[in-house]
Amino acid sequence: MTVKRVRFIQELLRFVGLEGRVHLEWISSAEAGKFVQVVTEFTETIRRLGPNPIQRTVRPFKASGPRRLGTSSAPSEAETDAESSEEPAAASHL
Amino acid sequence: MIQQIKSWLEDATVDIFIGYRDVDGHAVPHGYTADRLEELGNWTVGTHRYPLETFALHLARIHPEATIGLLGRDCNQRALNVLSVWNQLHADRIRVLSLSCCPSALKTRADCSYLVPRKSGSFKHQVGVDAEMEAAELEALPSGERWARWAYEFQKCIKCYGCRDICPVCFCAECSLESDELVGTGKLPPEVPIFHLVRATHMAGRCVDCGLCEEACPADIPLRLLYRKVNAIVEDLFGYQTGSDTAQPPLSVLGDRVELEPLPMEKTG
Repeated sequence: MTVKRVRFIQELLRFVGLEGRVHLEWISSAEAGKFVQVVTEFTETIRRLGPNPIQRTVRPFKASGPRRLGTSSAPSEAETDAESSEEPAAASHL
Repeated sequence: MIQQIKSWLEDATVDIFIGYRDVDGHAVPHGYTADRLEELGNWTVGTHRYPLETFALHLARIHPEATIGLLGRDCNQRALNVLSVWNQLHADRIRVLSLSCCPSALKTRADCSYLVPRKSGSFKHQVGVDAEMEAAELEALPSGERWARWAYEFQKCIKCYGCRDICPVCFCAECSLESDELVGTGKLPPEVPIFHLVRATHMAGRCVDCGLCEEACPADIPLRLLYRKVNAIVEDLFGYQTGSDTAQPPLSVLGDRVELEPLPMEKTG
């Protein structure tokens, strides 16, 4: 069941562009060496991926302000887009 | 069609027939019964759609013995299959009168509110995910841009729960989208992307691709594309076809063999 769910979530996250941040590995309590190796590798992987893009892309909610209305929010959308277009350099070579 | 329903009601093949009634030019879902046959005078059929099987489900919960007839398009039929797979409806208590819907070369007429392609503006094309896009087109984009586009779509959500409320296969008494631990109730805006991905996860092996959620969405989020992909994943990984398979969906049964391997760690260096 675990592997089914994890494989599904990995595919779903890949589709929305957040891949590489979920990993599943079976390690027995007797395999200390494997544990260290897997955790080290995964830490490195995550470090290379950089900080979670959700916090950077998702705008904090402001109760008022004209920027959230209609076309006036266009510049901020463009920024978001431009900003993320740099990201492939960091994330596309998976 | 009216004759057929009339005879079903008269010979008690069905206790109630759910279809549409014309009310001042608007089609409104209506349950026709044998003691008020004259109401069939206001019978109407057109491109409008409601999840009639949801009404059938509510009726069946109150009157488990009743036989329910309903007007069914292909998507209603798939939803009924899913509801019966999930043990929500007894297939033998449901009679469906088919309505021509999804267009094909064999049909001169098709009735569905989804037949007119939706048009998006250039801004959405530039920064968002267009509902007419194919999953493969989106996957061809670099992952950072893919995320930025989905984030744009998800951030428009006003958390109206319209997608869940209209959904013919959302039958759970307790909904994860109302769980404080998962999404946080009573707060706006919804947490992006948790709200949408929780719903997407629950649509795996369930979504019948009727498109009602996308039609109901006031923020124009391409939900159908997302759920279609979710079902494509289920089909690719487990060979399960939602809507036509009669077995329990793979994510709700343990299974007797392990067929999947965990993926190796992705090398990003």
